[in-house]
Amino acid sequence: MVNQQSIDLFNFIKLSCGVLATIGLYSVLYKETKFFRFFEHIFLGLAAGYAMVALWKETLYPQWWLKMVGQLDDKTHLPATPGYWVYIVLLPIGLLGYFVFSKKHNWLSRVPIGIILGLWAGQQVQIWWQTYGPQLYASMQPVFPTTWSSFVKPVTTGAGYTPEQIALINSNIYPSQALNNLIFVVTLLAAFTYFIYSFELKTKFLAGFNRMGRWMLMIGFGAIFGSTVMARFALVIDRMFYIWIEWVTSLQHLSGR
Amino acid sequence: MSDTKPTFLERMQNLDRRILYAILVVFTTVPLFIKTDLPVEPDAYTKALYYRLMTIPQDKTVFLQSDWTVSTRGENAGHMEALLRILMSRKIKFVVYSVGDAQAPGVYREVIRNINLERKEAGLTEYKTWDDYVDLAYFPNAEGTLNAIAFDVRKAFASRRVKDPNTGSDRPAFESPVLSKVQTVGDAGLYMIVTASSTVDRAVERLNERTNLAVMCTGVIGPSALPWYQAGQIKGVAIGLKGVYDMEYMMKYGLNHPDPNKNGRIEVPWAGKEDKSAEPVTEGKTFARGSLYYLSFHFAILLLIIAVILGNVGMFLGRKAERAS
Repeated sequence: MVNQQSIDLFNFIKLSCGVLATIGLYSVLYKETKFFRFFEHIFLGLAAGYAMVALWKETLYPQWWLKMVGQLDDKTHLPATPGYWVYIVLLPIGLLGYFVFSKKHNWLSRVPIGIILGLWAGQQVQIWWQTYGPQLYASMQPVFPTTWSSFVKPVTTGAGYTPEQIALINSNIYPSQALNNLIFVVTLLAAFTYFIYSFELKTKFLAGFNRMGRWMLMIGFGAIFGSTVMARFALVIDRMFYIWIEWVTSLQHLSGR
Repeated sequence: MSDTKPTFLERMQNLDRRILYAILVVFTTVPLFIKTDLPVEPDAYTKALYYRLMTIPQDKTVFLQSDWTVSTRGENAGHMEALLRILMSRKIKFVVYSVGDAQAPGVYREVIRNINLERKEAGLTEYKTWDDYVDLAYFPNAEGTLNAIAFDVRKAFASRRVKDPNTGSDRPAFESPVLSKVQTVGDAGLYMIVTASSTVDRAVERLNERTNLAVMCTGVIGPSALPWYQAGQIKGVAIGLKGVYDMEYMMKYGLNHPDPNKNGRIEVPWAGKEDKSAEPVTEGKTFARGSLYYLSFHFAILLLIIAVILGNVGMFLGRKAERAS
């Protein structure tokens, strides 16, 4: 029987390995040393080894091997699902990919690549429309207000409106919404003009609009970069939590405090 | 070469980066020991996500595509924990799998185990595999798998067997109470994607017209997910650590929900959506990882702002002095 102290000890060893690896990998911020390289190689080796086992256990075995050889019922040990031996054909097709290492027969490696590319290309028309169709619709936004009764959309909760009045409020475009939509549409068009390379933008208006598009794109990239930086901070904070809270807590558990 | 003593700003400009890293460690570590729940205005798209999660019919199964690993634990673990706490408190069944990374199942299994442990310690019922959730592990090739899910989910998951603890044997996943009523992916109560990669793009491309998608993603992926939300292709988004804290804040206070402890004041209003409200989460933890990290997050950003200002002012003064000489 495993007692609590053994569990605490195992947990402490596990977390200590993690702490060592964290310090090892972050040590590159000081200087690239053998200490860093050691943990980098451990990390890469573990990831590669794990992926290979997972590939067999969770992909090839259930999705290819079991389909090919069939399955037995757990209790009666009689055939439960039949095997489809035609799946064996996939093996040589997949192995053709390794001919990429042969100078004489490397053209054979193009067979599986061609099949994958063909399957991928066939999906693209539908995928393009599913991806961008709704965005095209959503970009066509009303830029003229339908009412001037209020600049912003009124708050309807607890204001004593009837359902008909609420429906009318929700169907109207208020000036603040129209202004928002206008900013969106102008930004969209300005960003588009940045990508006009087919002719020279000679008029002042088009050149200015093009410059505005460049600015809008740069603001967008800045926001994306800011979001990325925040993501990296979150990862550092988590590592600090791992070291100073999780690991220290496991140490306290081990020492019985 | 000038033999004048460098000014403070000049010294700041030439600060050894290792000193900055050391300051960052201090700035991110010390606030971890300070327990505080900062007020926040959740983003509109995260409010939409919370509303969706709190209004899933209880007889529907949630599809949970978990495509993150320990490398983004700082953001995605908080997402996953908040999501599981909501689903478990609402007694909603879910099926979980990954199409993004072979390591992902090991990571989400640990989160499920920890949340179950947390519920056990709080005297709440644990979620059981087979009856309450099924774990289908990893599917390679996101494009192919999501295509298969879109066209025939029963065929896509046909090879997966799950241990039925009642009989002790492995049985097809679709015989479980979790998936027995599911015929197509459109039967899902919500298709949740917790991701650190572009698998959200693959899912939107193949599934957005067939089911309701929602996303919890890292700050890196977030900006590219927002156009999906704006176009209605996904129904809600939680981005990065802010998204985690937003979710926890709404789990605590609800959405458009009058707080009886604050004289009926609505802590999280949703402008323009006053007719849509959601209760707070009534059992288990609400403030957790997001709350723990959020103050450190502010300190880290403060340090960044100070460093940017110092660097720019120093550069500006340096150029001015150069011009003057």
